[in-house]
Amino acid sequence: MRAELLSLVWLAVTVGGYYALKPVYRRHPRWWTSPLLTVPLLLALLGLPLGMNYPVYIQDTHWLVLMLGPATAAFALPIFRYRALIRAHWPALMAGVLGGSAMAIASAWVLATWCGLDDSVRRSLLARSITTPLAMLVSADIGGVPELTALFVVITGVAGIALGELLLRCLPLRSALARGALFGVGAHGAGTAKAYDVGTEEGSVASLAMVLAGLLNVLLAPTLASLLR
Amino acid sequence: MTTLHVRLRWLSWHRPRLARWSQVGLIVLLWFACDQCVRRLHVPVPGSVLALGLLLLLLLSGVVPAVGLRRGADWLLAEMLLFFIPAVMAVWQHLPLLRQQGVRIFVVIVVGTVLVMGTTALLVDLMFRWRQRHAR
Repeated sequence: MRAELLSLVWLAVTVGGYYALKPVYRRHPRWWTSPLLTVPLLLALLGLPLGMNYPVYIQDTHWLVLMLGPATAAFALPIFRYRALIRAHWPALMAGVLGGSAMAIASAWVLATWCGLDDSVRRSLLARSITTPLAMLVSADIGGVPELTALFVVITGVAGIALGELLLRCLPLRSALARGALFGVGAHGAGTAKAYDVGTEEGSVASLAMVLAGLLNVLLAPTLASLLR
Repeated sequence: MTTLHVRLRWLSWHRPRLARWSQVGLIVLLWFACDQCVRRLHVPVPGSVLALGLLLLLLLSGVVPAVGLRRGADWLLAEMLLFFIPAVMAVWQHLPLLRQQGVRIFVVIVVGTVLVMGTTALLVDLMFRWRQRHAR
C-alpha cells in the first residue's frame, strides 16, 4: 500500500515539476535551466529524504515512458511538412545522414574501446546521437541498456549545443543545409532547438535530419546487432 | 473528403484543446494497434516506426489532412522531454558504474559528437556545392 502511494506521488511530482519548471526554461533558455536537468535534480533532492527506489519510482511513471511510442509516430508530421526540402536536397541530406550516422557508431565503438569501457556501456553509447525514443529502441536491439542510452543521449544533447556553436565558428560552412544537418545529426532534439536560434531554414533542416538519422539507425539496428555479436 | 478537411480545419481553429486531445488520442490508438500487430506477427520493425510509416502514408495520400494532426502531433513532440525524464532517473541504478567510468564516458561523448558534427556538416556542404556546380 505504501509503495503504491509513493509511486503515485512520484508520478505527480514528475509531471508537476515538469510543468512548474518549464516556464523557467522558456524565460531563461540556458542549458542548465532545461527541464531535463532541473526535474531530475528536483526528484533527486526529494529522493534523499523519501528514499529513492527505482522500481517504485518507475511503477507509475512508466506510463510516461510509454508515450514515447506515439511521440515517435508523430514524427510523420515534420517529415510531411518538409517533403519539399527532401525532394530538393535529398543527395546532400542523405550524404550527411549516412556519413554522420556511420561516424557516430564508429567513433563511439573505437573511442569506448580505447577508454576501456564495459561492453554494455560501449553498446549503449552507439545510439547516443539520435533522438531518445529511437535511441532506446536501437539500444535494446544491439544489446545496450536503454536507460543508460537515454542518459547518454541527454548528455550528447547538452554538450552538442555548446560544441555545435563552437564548430559553426571554426568550419567554413556556406549553406544553411550544412549548418542545420550538423545540429540535427549531431545533437538530435536539443540541437534542433538550437538550430532554430541560428535560423528557420537551419531549424527545419535540423529536425528533418534528426528524424532521418534516427530512422536509418532503427532500420540498421538488426544488421548492426548481428555484426557486433 | 473536402467536408472532412473543412471540418478539421474549423475544429483546429475554434476548439484547439478538443482538437489536440482527440488527435493525441488517435495517434495513441494508431500506435497501440501497430504495436500489437508487431508483437503478434513478429514484424522486425518497431511498432512506433510502423505507426510513423502508416501516418506518413495517410498524409501523403491525402486521406488525412495535415491540419487534422497538427495540434496533436506538435504537442506530443513538444512534450517529449517529460516522457523521458523517468528513463533518465534510471541513473540511480547505475550510480556505481557512472562513478567509476563517468569521466571516460563524458570524453567519448564529447569527442564523438565533435567528429559526428564535423563529418555531417562537411559532407552536406561538399554535396551541396558539387550539385550547385553541376546544375549550371
